[in-house]
Amino acid sequence: NMSGSRYRSRAPRAGKSHEKEYVGFASLPNQLHRKSVKKGFDFTLMVAGESGLGKSTLVNSLFLTDLHKDRKLLNAEERISQTVEITKHTVDIEEKGVKLKLTIVDTPGFGDAVNNTECWRPVTDYINQQFEQYFRDESGLNRKNIQDNRVHCCLYFIPPFGHGLRPVDIEFMKILMDKVNVVPLIAKADCLTPGEIRKFKERLREEIDKCGIKIYQFPDCDSDEDEEFKQQDRELKESTPFAVIGSNTVVEARGQRVRGRLYPWGIVEVENPAHCDFVKLRTMLIRTHMHDLKDITNDCHYENYRAQCIQTMASKMSSDNRVESPIPILPLSTPDVETEKLIKKKDEELKRMQQMLQKMQQQMHEQDL
Amino acid sequence: MSDIVPPEVRPKPAVPAKPPNVGAASPSSPFSPPVPPSVVSTGPSVPPPSAIPVLIASHGPSHSNSHSASHSIGHGLGHSVGHGAAHPPAPSGGHTTHSSTAGSTLLGYIGIDTIIEQMRKKTMKTGFDFNIMVVGHSGLGKSTLVNTLFKSQVSRKSAGWPRDEKIPKTVEIKSVSHVIEEGGVKMKLTVVDTPGFGDQINNDNCWEPISKYINEQFEKFLKEEVNITRKKRIPDTRVHCCIYFISPTGHSLRQLDIEFMKRLSHSVNIIPVIAKSDTMTTEERQEFKQRVRKELEMGGIEFYPQKEFDDDMEDKSDNDKIRETMPFAVVGSDKEYQVNGKRVLGRKTAWGIVEVENPNHCEFAQLRDFLIRSHLQDLKEVTHNIHYETYRAKRLNENGGLHPISSHDTQESNL
Repeated sequence: NMSGSRYRSRAPRAGKSHEKEYVGFASLPNQLHRKSVKKGFDFTLMVAGESGLGKSTLVNSLFLTDLHKDRKLLNAEERISQTVEITKHTVDIEEKGVKLKLTIVDTPGFGDAVNNTECWRPVTDYINQQFEQYFRDESGLNRKNIQDNRVHCCLYFIPPFGHGLRPVDIEFMKILMDKVNVVPLIAKADCLTPGEIRKFKERLREEIDKCGIKIYQFPDCDSDEDEEFKQQDRELKESTPFAVIGSNTVVEARGQRVRGRLYPWGIVEVENPAHCDFVKLRTMLIRTHMHDLKDITNDCHYENYRAQCIQTMASKMSSDNRVESPIPILPLSTPDVETEKLIKKKDEELKRMQQMLQKMQQQMHEQDL
Repeated sequence: MSDIVPPEVRPKPAVPAKPPNVGAASPSSPFSPPVPPSVVSTGPSVPPPSAIPVLIASHGPSHSNSHSASHSIGHGLGHSVGHGAAHPPAPSGGHTTHSSTAGSTLLGYIGIDTIIEQMRKKTMKTGFDFNIMVVGHSGLGKSTLVNTLFKSQVSRKSAGWPRDEKIPKTVEIKSVSHVIEEGGVKMKLTVVDTPGFGDQINNDNCWEPISKYINEQFEKFLKEEVNITRKKRIPDTRVHCCIYFISPTGHSLRQLDIEFMKRLSHSVNIIPVIAKSDTMTTEERQEFKQRVRKELEMGGIEFYPQKEFDDDMEDKSDNDKIRETMPFAVVGSDKEYQVNGKRVLGRKTAWGIVEVENPNHCEFAQLRDFLIRSHLQDLKEVTHNIHYETYRAKRLNENGGLHPISSHDTQESNL
């Protein structure tokens, strides 16, 4: 469904089958598409931000679900002793034959305390755990059905009440930008006038730049895309961070029943692009960039983690002779001893090769003289 | 319940003023005294002096009016003129203004009631002070609300202080004073802002600079009061009212809200308001308010008007109505738009205009009426009679007082 429209234009046409150069692998994307559809997709979305910014409502609006129906909101006294939790909800969604296993990771308690020092720690711990699990699975023997529970995207909700980024926003995004695709959003945007939204977005973009925060960048669209698509892409990029509104209720507006919020002074329609950027977010997140988000998670963030991990293990091994890392490279029955032997063997091999290389270099040098 | 009122002047009760239009948004209550068009009331409303010879029968309405007026003026004057007016303890049945009519036995006109006019003139000449503090996270519309309340550019934002680009590392206290005038009455309004409150990652003890400031003002006043040669009118910088801005999350109070209000509700009058309430629909607002009120109750937080200071049934019923509507859900704006042929203060969104003074849109008008038109004087009195006294008692009890001379002044002579 996601890749449908862009690849269809390149599908082989019936009349070309008689040409000599036609091999037929141009249908590969379609084949891939069909296989993926059968297999289904995994997507893990994290939402982070203080309580009361409409995170759950937005997720429900995006995926037309009601994930938090029986949620009990804690009052302030109860929350005094609460620390930041990580909660997971998984939902299987199917649309036009395509199956999506959607996991929503929520972070209740984030930023709610009086002292929020390191309130991001449970979040980074969770992300690392998923990476670690994937690393294990990837290095394991049975890799046919690896589940990808890595966090593919983190929607970070910025309150619309401030004048820009707050210290907690800056700290959180800086710490998470190397571990997950961070997409900042302006929450509850219906309390801002259009002029205020413009100014706020400018301010946020400036500050994000100034603080060196690397948020998720939309990839540039291909140069052979049509002008309309390019225009759409440009508009999308220029309206970040998206100012969003969510709703769990349906209202009657302009003769239609739509998701919206009914105020005494007017009706806000969630899917009206003149009211907020909800449609842009949904398009970006689900309809055009879901795959890219997964790719970047896999190619950048996960690889970063993996490289770091291996490096840590390597340095640990050279400093003392025991492998203390919990992650075995080869899951053998007695990992520590066996792995150690193997590594030692490899090490010695490496040393021998280096010696041989040095000898060769010397010989060449002597020959030159 | 009819008291016989002797012909001498009734002593002014110490009961806080009961101005005519408590709780109602418009002065349509039966108690509002006839106000001549030239006097636009922001402070105590004042009827013109009645020079009509008072016979027993005709004492009904005019008598009760002049009583309520005398209450408002008496106290207003009392404060600005250095506590000269004596505040004797409230007579029993202090507010039986209506039944007291039966007791008058004046047979001629003395002219006692012209004292009201004299007091009024004096108040207008001296003016009065009002100090309001605003506390809340940055961006909750504190400056805008204060400007909207007083219909003038009185906040720090408009006083030329640069819009702070950086959030201060600790809570700062910044105060701006303006003299505003209405109907010949001058008010020196001081707005105390608290930038940096609640904006850091670690907000432990961020209420301390605020608590310190409040106590410092009490201390200043106390020092003046115990002086041998005292000023006729002690400058009053004490915080009369602290508006606490609650973030409209729609869920409940935040921990910081509870911590702050718990700690400061005993030294200052706290009026909690729900900021930027145009982010909630009417039902959401009601639910949120209910939850907030419950949490305030559970936390034992007494916001203004405090239940324990209601003096009589009338007070209690008026204040109960207010307490049930609090915290007021407000929206502030300094921009005007045309709505139905009228120019109104509001916020223009893509789906409509939020009108600040429209009671169907938000409760700004109620807050304004409550704060300025009916309880302004009471706020000052509770600050003086209760919060300040508590501070004073505490101070005088430690180390036996401030300095030797003050031992005379520990008598409740001027109160």
